[in-house]
Amino acid sequence: MGMLERQFEENVLTTKVDWLLNWCRLSSIWPMTFGLACCAIEMMAVGCAHHDIDRFGAGAFRASPRQADLMIVAGTVNFKMAERIKRLYDQMPAPKYVIAMGACATGGGPYYKYGYTVVKGVDRVVPVDVYVAGCPPRPEALLEGLMKLQEKIQQSSIVRRPARTA
Amino acid sequence: MDFRGILDRLQVVGAPGLLGHDLPRPPDPKDKKDKGRGGDPFVWVEPEKLPAFLECCRDDARLSLELLVDLSAVDPSKDDPNLWVVTHLLSLALRHRLEVKCALPKAAATMPSSASVHRGAQWHERECAEMFGITFRGHPDPRHILLPEDWIGFPLRKDYVFPDEYHGISCK
Repeated sequence: MGMLERQFEENVLTTKVDWLLNWCRLSSIWPMTFGLACCAIEMMAVGCAHHDIDRFGAGAFRASPRQADLMIVAGTVNFKMAERIKRLYDQMPAPKYVIAMGACATGGGPYYKYGYTVVKGVDRVVPVDVYVAGCPPRPEALLEGLMKLQEKIQQSSIVRRPARTA
Repeated sequence: MDFRGILDRLQVVGAPGLLGHDLPRPPDPKDKKDKGRGGDPFVWVEPEKLPAFLECCRDDARLSLELLVDLSAVDPSKDDPNLWVVTHLLSLALRHRLEVKCALPKAAATMPSSASVHRGAQWHERECAEMFGITFRGHPDPRHILLPEDWIGFPLRKDYVFPDEYHGISCK
């Protein structure tokens, strides 16, 4: 949400504004191209005609983090790459989201036991919103992950929620 | 030429550093524990003389082993005090191959670099240096090639211990 989050008291207008803002955001999540390894092939398949990601509004892959909302970490994360991932994540403007795609980004993948340069999950480097399992996940699985992210965006609100007591 | 022919030619030409050779053998029927040795025949060469040996192989007209296919290292086991540096050579003109092994003690794993003889050895030697801790004296560019510059330890040695963390990211 960025600047608008939790700024206002709840009233009938904010629910409509919430709905509109969330709908705008979830219908135009522009990902950053971040294919690192084999999962990138499946991400390319998602971007192409058959499993079309553009029908979700997310077809405009941006090369620059400054213009992207979503970072799909598709592939194995090394220690050398982890430093660059952190830097690119910091360069993305809020609201920003991260999908960890595939076994390597979720938890180290097949390199968990003996891979000495593999980070055991990209969530040790950046905060992750959605994990998509698979090695590699089918394109439909990545699309389901995107839909889960859209459900998560629907929960966000500009209303200041009162602190819970007891 | 087959391996016997190459070995004879090496002895005739007086290749520097040639120590011996080893052939693959089937398991010994009388000894149940002996599993034999698979793989290819190779020659043992003194590590200090390896560049001169490679130069001799390359320049002799009957051997003409002008292509360095691979140069890598092996840590045979935790108990073995040696590392092996294995070089594969190929002759494109005469269509034969040779495998060369050098035994280096783990405590003093240093040998001269073959980069002056075969340019392709440069990157292979960089990889052996960072993965096994072998120092190649006279190498023109001894940086790390795959690992980060400040990585601690030699990952492909049998006694390698994983680090606990690197730059704040936990490795466990």
